[in-house]
Amino acid sequence: MKFLIVTVKEIVDNFRDRQTLFYALLFGPVLVPLLLGGSLIASFKQFSIDFDQVSELAIAHSERAPNLVKFLYQNNIDVIDAPVNIELSVHSGDELIVLEIDEDYSIALREGRAAPLTLHVNDANKDSAKAARRISTLLDVYKRTLDSLRMQHRGIDPAIFNSLDVVENDVSVDGANGQLLASLLPFLYIMSMIMGGFYLAIDTTAGERERFSLEPLLSLPLSRRDVVLGKFVATLCFVSLSALLTVVSIYLLFRLFPVELMRGQVRFDGPTISRAFLLASPLLPFISALLMTIAAFTRSVKEAQTYLGLLMVIPMAPFFLLQFFTLRATVASMALPMLSQYQLLESAVLGKSIPTLHIALSVVGTLGGAIILLWVAQRLYSQERIIS
Amino acid sequence: MINAYDLQKGFQREGAKRGEEPVLAVSSVSFTAADGRITGLLGPNGAGKSTSLRMLATLIRPDSGSASIDGHDIVGDVLGVRQQLGFMPHNAGIYPRLTARENIRYYARLCGLSANDAKQRVGELIEQLGMHDFADRRATGFSQGQKTKVALARALVHRPQTLMLDEPTNGLDVMATRGLREIIRDLANAGHCILFSSHIMQEVSALCDHIAIISEGQIVMADSLEGILTKTGETDLEDAFVRAIGLEPCPPPIASTNGTQ
Repeated sequence: MKFLIVTVKEIVDNFRDRQTLFYALLFGPVLVPLLLGGSLIASFKQFSIDFDQVSELAIAHSERAPNLVKFLYQNNIDVIDAPVNIELSVHSGDELIVLEIDEDYSIALREGRAAPLTLHVNDANKDSAKAARRISTLLDVYKRTLDSLRMQHRGIDPAIFNSLDVVENDVSVDGANGQLLASLLPFLYIMSMIMGGFYLAIDTTAGERERFSLEPLLSLPLSRRDVVLGKFVATLCFVSLSALLTVVSIYLLFRLFPVELMRGQVRFDGPTISRAFLLASPLLPFISALLMTIAAFTRSVKEAQTYLGLLMVIPMAPFFLLQFFTLRATVASMALPMLSQYQLLESAVLGKSIPTLHIALSVVGTLGGAIILLWVAQRLYSQERIIS
Repeated sequence: MINAYDLQKGFQREGAKRGEEPVLAVSSVSFTAADGRITGLLGPNGAGKSTSLRMLATLIRPDSGSASIDGHDIVGDVLGVRQQLGFMPHNAGIYPRLTARENIRYYARLCGLSANDAKQRVGELIEQLGMHDFADRRATGFSQGQKTKVALARALVHRPQTLMLDEPTNGLDVMATRGLREIIRDLANAGHCILFSSHIMQEVSALCDHIAIISEGQIVMADSLEGILTKTGETDLEDAFVRAIGLEPCPPPIASTNGTQ
């Protein structure tokens, strides 16, 4: 059990290193979820319109269209007076949008012509564009009502203008938006695991070599297997700690944001997040072994940082790829570490059922990968170049 | 007790092509270091001192030749050698975020001492090497002398019979060097076998009972200080050394020295 002595020493040693602690406890579990999840969810809020929410709309010359004002009021829009200089106030953002009722409006309505309305909007301002979308949607409804009234007045069945009746039947359980949010979870888990073990793996291998402390260590009466195993378990502890903290922070983060906007497609409740963590857990030893092996392969801390920095691209690759391509979960993809966890975790968050075979393949493939990597690490430690 | 017989070690040059001959760092190293004696391995930089010590410490395997430490073969019985041997490489290599005490205790535990024994042994070494002032301070910012003491304590923690020190006085001031010499002398008097590598003549002549001169990967002369002076016909070690490294290497001793394996 000598490896445990190595493990304990590495943990104590690295708990005294601010850099390791920052990346393990803050960067992966707190900063990345906040930056990425926060901005993503904020943009969802931006694009989704809540028609039940009461808001104000500035209308110039509202007295020219009393029925429209009444319609808007019934649809949760309170009409207020427009400022004198409409364009300037929309441009400066004092008013998000202003609806202007033209002088000809009521006369045109009465004469059966198209009644002119002007919607002043600042498209460069996201809030203004969002407000305009809400009003346009409402005006469209009002327009259709007026259209059918006009037709009925002239004895025409309004249905005559509906030559096509297109019914869209969306069979996907998840919408595109849900997919993006769902792939965020595996990304955050994998990222936090890598960041959690990143500096410890470098410090305990390349760092130890650079400090010249590896040479006396390896001349002690203990086997290389104990050394490798000890350092591996220490890395595993940090990787797991970072991942567990991420579970907590993701849970808290998604309490703050409107998951109901996803219409129940995406779930970020406690049981789902915990289940996702369990599905991702074979990655803990895999990523620890990967970090250690790469760090053992390099000759200096700087080189290790470069290689492990490149490793960061790996958790991002499926995240971005899956945005553009729909990759079906197959037996082959389930045997691949990281990719399989991406697919499993997405399914978990989207509430899809997961075949037991897929889970089994993912576990076996990932743990098998970890064992191979550990074997490689031990080989590297047994070579003479480890101290040269 | 160290017995080395015709050790040879080559390294592949950095960026070497396939099939390129390795560069010989050590081509023929044979010597004996007896218990209760301080043996100096004297040679210029790049002569093969560190490579020889690394082979004896089982960190690298010799390409040919053999050696034993207290009867344990350096290739066949690696763990046996390490149990008998305390090795202090040429950089102290202590952990800066651990205290001196924690550094030593870590090695004690790795060498198989129980938690209690380790605590007691670390206490003894702190006493023996006079480390009270800084025993519980973190090693960041330690002076070279303090670092060397910690590294020496680590090498001694499992009470090895044989001690190998690779240029231990590097970077030490006069007082620290004197202190270290006394400690080494005491250890030899207590019956330990001490192998001490250095490129500093005064160091070796002041301390060593027996001197092996190494040049370009070969032991060119091995004898007591007086023996070396007599053989070279010089009056001080520096002149003797210059003359010795200009000589033909002495042939490896007959195979009987290899009998301890």
